[in-house]
Amino acid sequence: MAGGGGQLKAERAKRGKASKRKKMKRVGFHIDMTPLVDITFLLLTFFMFATTLAAPQVMEMSIPPEIVKQVEVRESELLQIFIRDDDKLFYAKGSDDPQPIELKEVRALAERENLMPNVRNRLITSLKISDDATYDMVIKVLDELNLAEVKITEEIGKELDENGQPKKRERRFTIAPMLEEDIKKLAEL
Amino acid sequence: MAKVKKKRVGFVIDMTPLVDITFLLLTFFMFTAKFKTQAESEQKFVIKRPASTPVDTATIPDKDLAVIKVAIDSATSDTMYYYEVLNEADRQAVWQKMPNFTPELLSKHQLPVDKDMLNELVLATRVVRPATKFAIDADKKLRFKWIADAMDILRRNRATMFNYVTDKKQ
Repeated sequence: MAGGGGQLKAERAKRGKASKRKKMKRVGFHIDMTPLVDITFLLLTFFMFATTLAAPQVMEMSIPPEIVKQVEVRESELLQIFIRDDDKLFYAKGSDDPQPIELKEVRALAERENLMPNVRNRLITSLKISDDATYDMVIKVLDELNLAEVKITEEIGKELDENGQPKKRERRFTIAPMLEEDIKKLAEL
Repeated sequence: MAKVKKKRVGFVIDMTPLVDITFLLLTFFMFTAKFKTQAESEQKFVIKRPASTPVDTATIPDKDLAVIKVAIDSATSDTMYYYEVLNEADRQAVWQKMPNFTPELLSKHQLPVDKDMLNELVLATRVVRPATKFAIDADKKLRFKWIADAMDILRRNRATMFNYVTDKKQ
C-alpha cells in the first residue's frame, strides 16, 4: 500500500547518508509505483461506473385472497380509477360516469378525495386495469397513489382519535379486473 | 539516453496521501458493487423495469425470496414467465417437486415456465418454505394481463403479500 511505499523511501534515506540533502543512494531497490497507481485509478473508475447502475427496489403490494363474497360499498366512499387499453386514465366518484384525467393529476385527485370531510380515512380506492394496458402505466399510477399516501397519512395524523392518540391511516385500496360495463362506458369516451 | 539525471528544481510532491485515498475509495466501491446473481447470468433477456419513487427505502430481500420474472426474450421477442428461488436449498427442493424433473434441471437457477407450471412452482415453494416472500419482476412494456395472471396465481396460492421490483425514479 502507499504506506509501504512511504516507508521504503524512509528506509532508503536512512540507508544512505544521514544528511539533510535529498540525495538518495540507490542501494538496489527502486519501486516505481506509477503502474500501480494507474491500475488503481482504472479499477476505481470501473467500480464507480458499475455501481451507479440503478439498484432495483421494490414496491410492496398486498392483495386479498380469493374473493368469495361481495363486499358492500357505499357509493360515497368509493373512488375508481380506470386504466384503459390505450393507457388513458379515467376516474369515477361513486357511481358517477368516468371522466378523463391526466397522470400528473392523479396524485392531487387522491389527496383531495381521501381528505374530503365525510370520507376521511374511509375512502376505498379501486384501480381497474384493462388487460391490454401497459405495465409501465400501472406502476406509474401506483407510484402516484403511493406518493399521495404520504401527504394523506400526514394530514390524518394531525387529527386525534378518542384516546387522544394521533389517528392512524387505514388505506383501503384494491386492484380489480375491469367489468364489461366499465369497458363499454370507457369505450365511448 | 545514458544517464537519466533529474534535476530537482524544487518541487517534490509526495503522492502518498493521494494513493491512500484512492485505495480507500476503491475498497469502498468494491464493497458496494452489486454483481449479477447466478440466475441473472444464466438468462438471455434483460428486464427493463418501470421506475417508481422511493417513498421508503425498501430494497429487495436477499433470502427467502422467490421471483416471478416476466420478460421478453431478446432473440425471439417471445414473452415468458421465468421462476427463480433465491435460497439454494429451497430451490433444489422446489425443482425436485416438479412433475417433469430431470437431474440436469438442478443446475439451473431459473426456469422458463408457463402458467400451469408457475402455479405448481408457487405452490411447491409455499409448501417447502411458507415464509417465502414473492416478487414480480416484469418488463415495463408488457401488457398488464401477464402481471394480472401472475398476481392471480399468487392469490390462489394464498401468497397475498408480494412486491413489484422497480428501478429508482431519478
